[in-house]
Amino acid sequence: MSPMTKTDSAILEVENYKVGFRTERGLAKAVNGVSFSLEKGKTIAIVGESGSGKTVLNRGLMGLLTDSNTIEEGSAKFMGEEIAGLSRQRFWGTNIAMIFQDPMSSLNPVMKVGKQVAEPLVLHQGLTKKESKKEVINLFKLVGIPDPEKRFSEYPHQLSGGMRQRVMISIALAIKPDLLIADEPTTALDVTVQKYILDLLQELQDERKMSVVLITHDLGVARGRADEILVMYGGKVMEHAPSEKIFTEMSHPYTEALTAAIPRLKDPKHTRLIPIPGSPPDLVHPPVGCKFAPRCVYAQENCINEEPAATVKGRHSYSCFYPVGTEKNKDAYQKNAAQGHTAAGLKISRRRVLK
Amino acid sequence: MVTFGSMSFLGDPLFNILGPIAGDTESPESLKIIEAAKAEYHLDKSVPEQWGRWAWDFVRGDFGVQFSTTGQPPVSDLIKERLPRTLELMFIAQLFALGLAIPWAVTSAARANSRIDKGLTMTSFAAISLPSFATAVLLYYVFSVKLDWLPDTYNAIDPFWGFSHDHRLIQLILPALTLGIGAAAQYARLLRTDMITTLREDFILMAKSKGVPRKRVLYIHALRSSLFSLITLLAINVGFMIGGSIVVESFFRIPGIGLAIIEAVLRDDFPVVLAIVMLVSCGFMVLNYLADILYSVLDPRIRNTEQGQQKKVTIL
Amino acid sequence: MSVNKDEILRNEVNESSEVAEAGAEAAKKTLGFGFWLCAVWLFVISMFAILAPVLPLKDPGENFVQYEEQENPLTKKLEEQPTIPPYSPSSEHWFGTDQDARDIFSRTIYGARISLAVGGLTTLFGLLIGGSLGMLAGFLKGWIDKLVSGLFLLSLSFPGLVLTILIITILDRSLLTISLTFGILSIAPIGRLARAQTLTFSEREFVTAATTLGAKRSRILLRELFPNVLIPMITLAMVVVAISIVGEGTLAFLGLSVQGSSTWGKLILLGADISTLQTSPWVSFIPMSFLFLTVAAFNFMSDRLQDVFDTRSIYVTHD
Repeated sequence: MSPMTKTDSAILEVENYKVGFRTERGLAKAVNGVSFSLEKGKTIAIVGESGSGKTVLNRGLMGLLTDSNTIEEGSAKFMGEEIAGLSRQRFWGTNIAMIFQDPMSSLNPVMKVGKQVAEPLVLHQGLTKKESKKEVINLFKLVGIPDPEKRFSEYPHQLSGGMRQRVMISIALAIKPDLLIADEPTTALDVTVQKYILDLLQELQDERKMSVVLITHDLGVARGRADEILVMYGGKVMEHAPSEKIFTEMSHPYTEALTAAIPRLKDPKHTRLIPIPGSPPDLVHPPVGCKFAPRCVYAQENCINEEPAATVKGRHSYSCFYPVGTEKNKDAYQKNAAQGHTAAGLKISRRRVLK
Repeated sequence: MVTFGSMSFLGDPLFNILGPIAGDTESPESLKIIEAAKAEYHLDKSVPEQWGRWAWDFVRGDFGVQFSTTGQPPVSDLIKERLPRTLELMFIAQLFALGLAIPWAVTSAARANSRIDKGLTMTSFAAISLPSFATAVLLYYVFSVKLDWLPDTYNAIDPFWGFSHDHRLIQLILPALTLGIGAAAQYARLLRTDMITTLREDFILMAKSKGVPRKRVLYIHALRSSLFSLITLLAINVGFMIGGSIVVESFFRIPGIGLAIIEAVLRDDFPVVLAIVMLVSCGFMVLNYLADILYSVLDPRIRNTEQGQQKKVTIL
Repeated sequence: MSVNKDEILRNEVNESSEVAEAGAEAAKKTLGFGFWLCAVWLFVISMFAILAPVLPLKDPGENFVQYEEQENPLTKKLEEQPTIPPYSPSSEHWFGTDQDARDIFSRTIYGARISLAVGGLTTLFGLLIGGSLGMLAGFLKGWIDKLVSGLFLLSLSFPGLVLTILIITILDRSLLTISLTFGILSIAPIGRLARAQTLTFSEREFVTAATTLGAKRSRILLRELFPNVLIPMITLAMVVVAISIVGEGTLAFLGLSVQGSSTWGKLILLGADISTLQTSPWVSFIPMSFLFLTVAAFNFMSDRLQDVFDTRSIYVTHD
């Protein structure tokens, strides 16, 4: 299923991975068959809205989902070893590290910050308290936290948002992981700090040959920082491409819609940002056929009834019957515009011209 | 502060009632003694003056002499002698309570809604429903009567540190356990709820992802965050434990404050009853006040966030 | 905007556990078998207690000494001699007898009368006075509220048992005194809850609607607020009954309950000395079981009500 050739240097190989939650309404298929392969030292960005399954995917891969009502299927291999369905515990704190989204809630509010960073050092690398303290202060310097000795003994609420995220990064670095999973590392931060943090991550990644899974809803960030981009929607992969191609050869309507929602510097003033109409699909009873069809401006009859298989073109794959940029696509649009609505009932108005 | 004042105010009419009544229960032939006592205890003076004198004495620690024909030692001596025993008992009881409640609650919370949790919750439920005197009898039956693991009498004169049946430390185990179980059930309930909330937070996931072993996550990360309400409850509970100690001391015959009240009541010895009640009430209020302060001081989150201010209100 | 997103994204994962729990909670929405079981027990025991004099129970005061034939060592003849009580449970005495050969079953039932009476009177008193005061305070607000709340706080600041003992010392030890004292003590927790609930509900729209329609304040209080406040109060009331039964039991155990009566606490005490416990534990344990089952039943029912009607009030439980 994956367009990438499985090489020996793949650090993470995911094949038809699924995660479902048992709820009182039925089985919610949060991740409904995702496959990709990540090479050592590379970065893959997983992009999608909230509800697309990207967070679940990554918590699932890490093995952090609460176990009682969760079902996992498919395969996920880390460094060649199968980890799906099994306890990932032995990789935690040693080979895999995770950066969570909201640093305020991800740090223990009643524990000193330094201690929290030192923890994996003491637990997994056998450092003494003194040694770990020194190491932590070094890490703080590395990530650019001013006055590190003082910060060591402070509590999370005493630090600013940017600093807290830096603390999170130092925790990740302390672990010296082979794989870093960064879940929206900059969403909770100001734009200026965002750049700094992402640059920092890049630097450290280059230095340490770390592989990164970057989760974000921001396609722009993905384009700038990742080698490959995986676009997810409704638990499935819509498009998977190397990042250079994602804009130049954009194929899936969802990707297109996401792009339209990004403000760009060179757009004239008062350019309307176009949000994607509708809401994320019901995970318990997802639509038959393409998951994005209900919100897609190009949707036709077959989109609703049949699920498009993945079309693979080298390192680029997408799942759509009417990919963007093709004749079929233009025709589909004309047809819908003439009708005034898509096959799924979504109204089309003239002002929705994207091109 | 208002409560303090109104409580002292309560003392006045009480004392006023008690005086004459105490006089009436004395036998007629000791009327002379009554007259003398009246003079000595200022009962013949006007009411405000009585109260004034009494309050002054009280604050200075002089609780008056016990009403009795045989001239028992002054009340303050009695209290001095008895109070430490009760405190001893309550301290060990709280230790037991915590020692029971923490693992109870942590285990319960870690496996919320599992069978273990349901079982533990039912047990704590049963513990709350069984009054302390009943637990006393039950425990006594099991450990003292049937198994004879623990001694059945308490001797105030026995040495404290030691592990035989003749050492107070061991003698206090049963009574402290009785007192402690009820408290433990309450603590466990509270702690479990708080822990369950804490365990849902992101930083727990974070800790797990760092590879922190499960036990450590529970006891060090999660517990620390959840202890605050418990500590407040602990302080408040000391007051309530005094009530409980009345029963326990009575059954196990430990000469503490609780037993002193009972004895005094049965003897119609009002100064003692009054003094002890006032003492307990004062202590109770002080503890409540402390608990409030403690809560706002301890939790660094409450100190700062608005959410925290909300939380304060709900507890109060 | 970012805050919202954070929450949504975080919820994505937490939803899994939350939705599961919501599912579990939906299942708890019925009162359940246990609830009704408790209700039945309480009904039975109350009926027994009320109807005790007319039920075919043995006289609780009578000594049913049993005789058996023994050889008199002096005359070497078979004679009827009394055996030493307590007697173990048998077909004659379902729960055995105590040290004075009195039937435990009937004593327990008779003991229930006062224990339950105290519970009932206390709660009734507390509900009426506490409930009204609380609702008034919550509804009228202003200085009334401050006054009433202050009184509540005062009452809650004392350990109840100690105060009760004090009052009993001064006054007497009748059923009325004890019930009244407990009743007065229960005003505060009930009142506090009533007040809190009234405050919450009076903010809601249906009250505003009624007011704008020109309804008199008393009408609002009665028709709109009262039914809503009632349910949480009932759940608390059950706990109050449980607590007062325990309270009365404690007093009885200490020898301070209603004069001349043998309520559950007293019965437990009577059976709690070493020798009796060793030879005939049922003397103490039978009344203890009755006490436990009754108190647990009230507590359990209150708990179930809280679950189903979603009212978790903060109240103080103590001995």
